[in-house]
Amino acid sequence: MIVRTLRKNIHWVIIGLMLIVLAAHLFILHNVFGFGWELVLADGIISTLVISVSIWGIVMLIRAYPTTAAVTLYALFIGLFMSAATVAAEYEAIKWWVSTPATRYYTDWLLQTLPVRFLVVWIFSTWAATISAFRKNMAALDARFQQQTDAAALLRDAELFKLRQQLQPHFLYNSLNSINALILISPERAQSMVGKLSEFLRSSVKRESDDTIPISEELTYIQSYLDIESVRFGDRLVVNFTHENTEHATIPPFLLQPILENAIKFGLYGKTGKVQIDISMALEAGMLILTVVNPYDPDMQPPRGTGFGLSGIRRRLYLVYGRTDLLDTQKDNTTFTTTLKIPQQHVQSNPDR
Amino acid sequence: MYKVILIDDEPLARQLIRSYLAAYPDMEVVAECADGFEGFKAIQEYKPDLVFLDIQMPRLNGFEMLELIDNRPSVIFTTAFDEFALKAFEAHAIDYLLKPVVKERFSKAIEKWKGSVPTKVAPDLSPILENNVYEGYQHRIVVKDNGLIRIIPANEIHYLEADDDYVRIVTKGGTYLKKSTLAHLEQTLDPQQFVRVHRSYLIPVSQLLRIEPYEKESHIALLQCGAKVTVSKTGMAKLKGLLGW
Repeated sequence: MIVRTLRKNIHWVIIGLMLIVLAAHLFILHNVFGFGWELVLADGIISTLVISVSIWGIVMLIRAYPTTAAVTLYALFIGLFMSAATVAAEYEAIKWWVSTPATRYYTDWLLQTLPVRFLVVWIFSTWAATISAFRKNMAALDARFQQQTDAAALLRDAELFKLRQQLQPHFLYNSLNSINALILISPERAQSMVGKLSEFLRSSVKRESDDTIPISEELTYIQSYLDIESVRFGDRLVVNFTHENTEHATIPPFLLQPILENAIKFGLYGKTGKVQIDISMALEAGMLILTVVNPYDPDMQPPRGTGFGLSGIRRRLYLVYGRTDLLDTQKDNTTFTTTLKIPQQHVQSNPDR
Repeated sequence: MYKVILIDDEPLARQLIRSYLAAYPDMEVVAECADGFEGFKAIQEYKPDLVFLDIQMPRLNGFEMLELIDNRPSVIFTTAFDEFALKAFEAHAIDYLLKPVVKERFSKAIEKWKGSVPTKVAPDLSPILENNVYEGYQHRIVVKDNGLIRIIPANEIHYLEADDDYVRIVTKGGTYLKKSTLAHLEQTLDPQQFVRVHRSYLIPVSQLLRIEPYEKESHIALLQCGAKVTVSKTGMAKLKGLLGW
């Protein structure tokens, strides 16, 4: 905690230290060596000013030319060089300031004390140089730490996405609303809808791992989803399935449903009549290719605020397969086509393995 | 007798509200609509006392529809929306029913509405319409054109110009007026595509052809459609920031 505060307010620490140095300087010259106040003040203030400028110079120098290798050596070298220059400047400045024959004895004495002064200045310079060099390194470390935190946050987002995908609150509320209406007008249909919704929820909650599942399992899930949607939207929704030789294919859970949701939304929200959605699946060169085609009106953008859209799917595909080329969309004036490719690790395109 | 219109794209959702309303003999459902277009027409035609309005609907959503209506009726929103949007409703005392709509909550909303009828002070809906309650940006602007509703895709817009209480929308297919402010449209359109280059102008960056200096501290932007718009000092800074000059 203290180290952190010091590190943050390094400028004030340096100024404070300079004042302490100034006071010590004045005290030693006046009380130990017994020089007059006029000389002591001149020497003290000039020395402190020169040292301050020098340390500021060091900080600037290291900021402008940072290093990551041999930080201490670098700081030591800069400190050495700068303190030699500082002491020389200090000597010249004081000599110029007190240049009367009467104070000749003082300049002589000054010359004698130069080694001591050099030592003190050198310690300070090296200290300042080391701290600023390390600060530079700390900043780089901080940035790397931040990157790792970001990656963790991304993973957490993906987890959250999956969780929401499992529960689909929006879909759930709308379905419950439909059930509410059905209870009044057709209790039997309400019961059947409760059954479908439970089935859908059960299969969503059951899946936990990120592993792949057989396509048949995913299709059962999709079917229960579509059953509910067709109750909600009546006979407006028509879904066609075609598949060939895909019995042994696998797919990560929860990928297909949001694509279909997207397709339904595009289709339903673009027009008021019947909406036909075509889903086709095929195995090609070790890839399961899923194509979803829905009607589309380029003037009618689907409403936002609910779906996680295709970006969430893209992110998941990247997390699972480390690839960005697995999801593709194409649109023309009347249709919107989504193509999803799933690499098949243990299934060959030959159906009778 | 109060006239009521139900606007929701799910037939069952409309049926639910209708059956709840059966308990109120003084309320009559004069129309049921499945999207914003139908809703717009029905509201003009019947001048209802109360509208139950779903927000997410095909073609024209509930907010877009309301934006186009000049004398807005009392509205009770029915929505499966999330917390985020609901806070906006609550902040402006606008009533809403959460889906699934339950009877007790429905009755409360009706009582509350009936209580507000004699005072004739319906809550002002404009804060909801002006604040972007949706996450994300609009890709279109909806305008009224001789009583017809026209949907203008954002990529067909040449530029937008402030004109008193209206915004002039200049597009490929013509010029339209919308009762709105540039500030509002600036907020709803994607800032990566639309830049407020001047107090009176909002332009799509894709339309930008070149920029010429003009007087001191201001510039003129030449657009692909041939129009010239003034670019202020801050507008120039925004353009520079966006285009990375």
